[in-house]
Amino acid sequence: MKKFMPVEELARDERFNQITQADRMADGRNALIGEAEKSRKSNRLTPARPDASEAARALMHGIFVGEIQALEGAGRTCWDFTTGEEAPFELKLDMARQAWDEARHVEISLKLSDWMGSEIGQYAENTVLFQAACSNDPVLRLAGVNRALEGLAIDVFTTMKEFGEIAGDPYLEFCEDWMLADEVTHVKMGSDWLRKITENDPERRKKALEFQGIVDKMFSYGGSRSDSEESSFAIARRFRELAGFTEDENDHIADLGMQALNERKAQLREKQAAVTN
Amino acid sequence: MADPTKPRASFAPWDRRELPGSFSVEETARRVGNYKWAETKLFEVLGGWIATVPELDIKLRLGTHCYKHAWHAELWHKRLPELREMNPARLTVPANDALVRFVDAMTEPEDASLTIEKLVGVYRVYIPHFISAYTYHLNNTSEITDMPTIRSLKFILQDEFEDWRDGEMLIQSLLETPDHVDRAAAHQAKLEKLMLEAGGIAGHGSIGINTQAPQGALS
Repeated sequence: MKKFMPVEELARDERFNQITQADRMADGRNALIGEAEKSRKSNRLTPARPDASEAARALMHGIFVGEIQALEGAGRTCWDFTTGEEAPFELKLDMARQAWDEARHVEISLKLSDWMGSEIGQYAENTVLFQAACSNDPVLRLAGVNRALEGLAIDVFTTMKEFGEIAGDPYLEFCEDWMLADEVTHVKMGSDWLRKITENDPERRKKALEFQGIVDKMFSYGGSRSDSEESSFAIARRFRELAGFTEDENDHIADLGMQALNERKAQLREKQAAVTN
Repeated sequence: MADPTKPRASFAPWDRRELPGSFSVEETARRVGNYKWAETKLFEVLGGWIATVPELDIKLRLGTHCYKHAWHAELWHKRLPELREMNPARLTVPANDALVRFVDAMTEPEDASLTIEKLVGVYRVYIPHFISAYTYHLNNTSEITDMPTIRSLKFILQDEFEDWRDGEMLIQSLLETPDHVDRAAAHQAKLEKLMLEAGGIAGHGSIGINTQAPQGALS
């Protein structure tokens, strides 16, 4: 088996429909703002939203496929790098542990999707998460996956946990809380390894943090995550701090989210103007 | 109330553990190093295969099993310094070149259509050889001097049996035609021949056959 698998080769059964981030952003339907969206004061996912059920099901499917890709990414880190030479033995042990955790998260997401009334393949699978796990440098991979992607998971799971709490769904709240505990552990793994491996290599650390910034912005999905009420998810600062993010780092991620949100709004305005004309 | 000054037998009547064992400290360290290498190769390939199998249930099982074998490798890694090997990497080696050839052949299948071959290599050949080597070790080491190894072997064997059963059931669920059965059997035979050459995960003598009592053994 070769090292470094391209995202196009991810193995799936016929129920899955894969799209790239570019496909998603190029979808013209995303530019159309409906009446419900225009009148909404906040984009946060709450049970009060008229489209709450559908939005929660779509998000849960997104979590499900994201967990599959996180599982595959952690597994590939066990395989792609030579033990001792390219990646420390203990780092690989952590990645194997993460693979087990992600496998459980897929199982949890499957049960929750069933509970919420959706099916595998009902929504498209965006493969952007695995793309972040394809770096040839294990440090960049940890920065992209464990700190950026798993950091996003902290934000998303916090939102879903609150959604379950407000909606009076203890099943959802219970599961999200358990997954949240694992994600904090994974982000901490990433933070710890990043510090340890680049202790005497500031250039490599800088490169890894820059890569994390790119992935963080990519995972902000056009501003879906920021401190603004216009974003679907807030920055879960408390849990992020537990995972090793500093206040400055959280502020930086919030800024990236706002930047992405404003860029997306500008794009939407352009597309709206094009539709109107 | 029991008399606290009354002498008791040092070993309770139900404690039948024996002192003699077949392995010296050096031989135990050699075997443990081989185990760590073999478990490491196993968790690495299980991790790599996750993205290559389209069957969702199998994908998830591989993720779970990947961690279990990583944990086994970690247990052996921690045992090595306790066996006077302060540089665990020195003994983390394959038992012989034939075992490397076996692992290379086992890890070769990559295409999404080769799930049967992937599972057969691990669950019908490699893991059964772990079970046999670990069982031989468990049954032949000193029950008193080498208790830490025994404790790890027992934990690990529990996992190996469960994983073997999981894997075997997955294989059976994939065998839908006589051609599938032939594929599984052919791949198993190919790998088993390589393992025959290797003699097992700790080399010849993995299960006590074709070997002389190691130097320093007390039996």
